[in-house]
Amino acid sequence: MASMSDIFKSFMLRELFGGMAVTGRALFAPKATVRYPEEKTPRSPRFRGLHALRRNPDGTERCVGCKLCEATCPAMAITIEIAPDENGKRRTTRYDIDMRKCIFCGFCAEACPVDAIVETRFYEYCVERPGDLVWTKDILLENGALREEEIVRDRECDGECA
Amino acid sequence: MIALGKLHEFGHGVFGAFWPSVFIVVSTLIKIACIVAPLMLSVAYLTLLERKTIGGMQARLGPNRVGPFGLAQPLADGLKLLFKEIVIPSGADKAVFLAAPIFSIAPALAAWAVIPFDEGIVLADVNAALLYLMAVTSIGVYGVILAGWSSNSRYAFLGGMRSAAQLISYEIAMGLALIVVLMVSNSLSLGEIVKSQARGVFAQAGFSVFSWNWLSLFPVFVVYMVSIVAETNRAPFDMAEGESEIIGFHLEYSGLAFALFYMAEYASMILCATLAAILFLGGWLSPFSCFPNGFHWLFAKVFVILVFFFWIRATFPRYRYDQVMRLGWKVFIPVVLVWMAVVAAWMMSPLSVWK
Amino acid sequence: MEFKAFVFYFLAVTLIYAAARVVTLRNPIHAALHLVLAFFGASGIWMLLGAEFPAIALVLIYVGSVMVLFLFVVMMLDIGADRWREEFRKNVPSVLCVASLMLIEMGCALWLSFSGNTEAALPPTGAGYSNVKMIGRLLFTQYAYPFELASVILLAGIVAAVALTLRSRRATKSADPSEQISVKASERIRLVGEIPEQRNENTAWKGN
Repeated sequence: MASMSDIFKSFMLRELFGGMAVTGRALFAPKATVRYPEEKTPRSPRFRGLHALRRNPDGTERCVGCKLCEATCPAMAITIEIAPDENGKRRTTRYDIDMRKCIFCGFCAEACPVDAIVETRFYEYCVERPGDLVWTKDILLENGALREEEIVRDRECDGECA
Repeated sequence: MIALGKLHEFGHGVFGAFWPSVFIVVSTLIKIACIVAPLMLSVAYLTLLERKTIGGMQARLGPNRVGPFGLAQPLADGLKLLFKEIVIPSGADKAVFLAAPIFSIAPALAAWAVIPFDEGIVLADVNAALLYLMAVTSIGVYGVILAGWSSNSRYAFLGGMRSAAQLISYEIAMGLALIVVLMVSNSLSLGEIVKSQARGVFAQAGFSVFSWNWLSLFPVFVVYMVSIVAETNRAPFDMAEGESEIIGFHLEYSGLAFALFYMAEYASMILCATLAAILFLGGWLSPFSCFPNGFHWLFAKVFVILVFFFWIRATFPRYRYDQVMRLGWKVFIPVVLVWMAVVAAWMMSPLSVWK
Repeated sequence: MEFKAFVFYFLAVTLIYAAARVVTLRNPIHAALHLVLAFFGASGIWMLLGAEFPAIALVLIYVGSVMVLFLFVVMMLDIGADRWREEFRKNVPSVLCVASLMLIEMGCALWLSFSGNTEAALPPTGAGYSNVKMIGRLLFTQYAYPFELASVILLAGIVAAVALTLRSRRATKSADPSEQISVKASERIRLVGEIPEQRNENTAWKGN
């Protein structure tokens, strides 16, 4: 008798209609899609996007050319050359990050003793040739100058947001 | 009428004695175009509707970038497929390889010749319309099997074999279901089948919806609805596509040749939905006698059945192959055979509702 | 020329061409496909004669199922054409004998049934005339016994085919889908030992 009622139940497709009720409800539920160029998902202050080199308030570069970031970079994306400047201080003459290699791990920012190299929230960059993905010191400095306020704010709330 | 007379006069002047033959051919071609052009358009927009529906059920929006609400998406897809190269695999049987998609889509279009849209609105009012439909749709399996074989690929071949075996198996269950329908409506003509559903106790009381075949032949209706899903190679019976076990018969196809298979799938989906509406859901009849009958009812029913197709695709996981075969042979065929005997006895008893 | 005559000649030429290609083509799949074309031609000619039931039945049964199974077999076997040709030479005398015998038999049958018959002798077909209905009526009255006999022979054939192919191979392990499907959730879980107390709602991990 139980098997008969099982057969009847399976033929009435009860379980199947139960499943369809779930998807049917989902059809009228609010959608999770973010329409990207018009809408954007919120980004954390710890978001690891394009790198930036920061300057001191007096306009001099923060970077002291210690090469810790170059050493710690697991993808070996950073290339640094150094020379003393006119004041005899250690300064970088070349600071390249190859974005084709970078894995955005953030180790360079962690390693930096003077908070010179940081990762910003900016991620919408694209180029036409792969070679253009090697960001040079000028571009990184410019990115830092553009987003200095944001970088400072993000660093301040870093403790709270953890 | 006057214009038609003038046309005949003109035709006689140009073609002389050949005019009647020419007139038949040309007028039939125009009628065919009147059916096929809207059909192809609905095939294109059916893909959009499917993606929108399934997207909605998965909490997504679906295509919304090309044109307002993504309305130009089918055109963009078509254009893309049109300009893609048709790669013919080395060692493939070229003629058969290119003929297979045609074998696939031709039956799905040819079957529309006997589909009535409203009372008397049909391209060819054949007596044996139901038989014709069964014969024509059974040709579709050649597209599958030949595509699999001619691709010169073991995967495509295996996929073709599997799909062909599935199609043949479910054709039997479907054919038997059609036999039950023609038993109760006592006719092979689709128009007659629809009209026979307007009779009955409920129809006289104004609830024509309950005197349609779906209620009196409920098990057959269920079998038919599931069979058409399997017959059109749709999820959850889409062995042919099976992304996770990539062996499908159209594995080696690209560009327009692949598009033909795709169009064939959707065209036969619309065809099967229309057939289900005609055979079990009363075709162009209105569900309650307070509304007038008309072709819009047929279209509404077809639309509902198609959305149902998408709904089950969004809901159920794919069947395993041996379970598909078991369902066809061990469940559906016995169920229809038993119900056929029951209906035959019912028709002969004094309780018959089909008098 | 009448439209009907044009269609007839078109179908007839297609039929003869396809039938000739069936026996002359080397590739067995192409030959099978030409056989399908031949069936279509024959079915079209029947349709022209107003015999829609045999015409549709030919497509439905021979094209829709028999030839598909043919293709299955031919594709699976993958026979080389060379071996065929060798065996053909060996069997030419017996083949000729059988062919001529068949030709004579068919000729006799056709001659006997068609000699003296003209088109006028065909029964008139009215507007409401249904081929299917007439055949059905004949099958269940005049030809009931032959019909039943044929179906019994077919049934015997089905049983024989199933008996020949249904061997339970002990060496392979296979799952029975009906058994798998009939399993219920309650049969899946077997609890061993005591059921632990339910965790407190507050201590349960909650995702943010």
